[in-house]
Amino acid sequence: MSTLTVETPAPETAPKRRTGIIDCDVHPGPRSTAEIKEFMPMPFRDRWNGGGRGFFGNPLHGARLDSNPPGGGGPGTDPDFLRQQLIEEFGIAHAVLLPRAFCNLHPDPDLGTAIAAAYNDWLAATWLDKYNPDGVFKGSITVAHQDPQAAAREIERWAGHPHFVQVMTDSGARAPFGQRQYYPIYEACAKHDLPFAIHPGTDGMGINIQPSPGYPTHYIEWHTCLSLGFQAHLVSFLTEGVFERFPNFRVVLVEGGSAWLPGLLWRLDAEWKALRAEVPWVKQRPSAYLRDHVRLTSQPLEQPEDSRDLLRMLEMMDAEHLLMFSSDYPHWDFDSPTNAFPKLPEALHKRIFELNAREWYGL
Amino acid sequence: MARHIVGKVAEIGPGQRKIVEVEGISIGVFNVGGTYYALRNRCPHQGAPLCQGSVKGTTLPSAPGEYRWGREGEILRCPWHGWEFDLLTGRSLFNPHKIRVRTYEVTVETPEEEPAVPTYPVTVEADCVVLYV
Repeated sequence: MSTLTVETPAPETAPKRRTGIIDCDVHPGPRSTAEIKEFMPMPFRDRWNGGGRGFFGNPLHGARLDSNPPGGGGPGTDPDFLRQQLIEEFGIAHAVLLPRAFCNLHPDPDLGTAIAAAYNDWLAATWLDKYNPDGVFKGSITVAHQDPQAAAREIERWAGHPHFVQVMTDSGARAPFGQRQYYPIYEACAKHDLPFAIHPGTDGMGINIQPSPGYPTHYIEWHTCLSLGFQAHLVSFLTEGVFERFPNFRVVLVEGGSAWLPGLLWRLDAEWKALRAEVPWVKQRPSAYLRDHVRLTSQPLEQPEDSRDLLRMLEMMDAEHLLMFSSDYPHWDFDSPTNAFPKLPEALHKRIFELNAREWYGL
Repeated sequence: MARHIVGKVAEIGPGQRKIVEVEGISIGVFNVGGTYYALRNRCPHQGAPLCQGSVKGTTLPSAPGEYRWGREGEILRCPWHGWEFDLLTGRSLFNPHKIRVRTYEVTVETPEEEPAVPTYPVTVEADCVVLYV
């Protein structure tokens, strides 16, 4: 029998039932550089003209090709389309927003601070206010760690805001994050109970050190090795005693991978048994600090051939308490809330996809 | 196997595609150099709308440091994670034996049958692309 077929109908736009998922890494962006500059005072408005993170552009596509809003603008710039494609599609209860200011690569700390402040003002006025009548969107306070005192003042400026739930910075840095020059930032975070989120970016760019032996050649190397910086930062936090100094201080490792965690902590715990005396302020085995002080987001989830290996890995890394789901929408390596993970036990699914973030951010 | 006319030949020219929904399944019909191929519009990886991806060539196997571009117009790349699929076979390039997307038979036919409503005069204007699901 012959039938004439019609074109694919428009995607279902009717809201689906909320499933309560909290997505801990979503990237909104301004429609244009001008949208940010509007919030930037002179002389920085003149001096800054946008710009990305430098080298290692994705050779394929940096964002999902289907994430371009039909009405124009780049991926992640249209709140209605983002709501349709992410929030409604997967029943997301809250999306934690991490704009990409790339302010951490600038040699001029005042410029870095001005970019961070403008992004914060922009986010507060748009995604956390005008686009946020139902409070789905939660934000991150961008700080320029080149000037920790200024970063602390920026945190003070936003403390108490109903929708900013954390402070964020790039993983790119000139020194491991456990070192004391950063402490004004951590003091402010601890004072206001705002976790400090580290997101990949600006490693080896501008003033920041590349956390591999020299620059890799290709995007595939650079992107795979992003987790190296995260591992160095985590070991630094633990061995410098940051969590002893600031008992209220908490860290989120966003998009830095997670499967490396068990091996790294086994190694660090083993070293600590002998070398504890070198760092006497580390009062318990290093891995014991994680539950109170550290969370990891899930994307990009490491995917072994055999999903049973992943389930074992989740158990080894204490995912039940430490792992928070993230999609990285609208970027190319987006993890689908429904397809990235193998089938998980119901209770573990609820912890990773909802409860860990709900408790961590007080949502 | 049901027969579905997805459009006129002129509608899906070389290098073009049409995504249709038949029997509840979203399928991409591609014209690769005059030959039609049909693939399921769902990436076996994480369920992305595969057929919305880019269609280009790719780098062929080569010695380290050498680049050989080829198969222009035959490689479909997933719009999310960038996995490559051979439009001619539905097989992935990185693991053709295990990772593949469902393909469907497509032919070009001149419709012979009368459409379902016989009271309207009908003329056959052009060949149609016909998908078998």
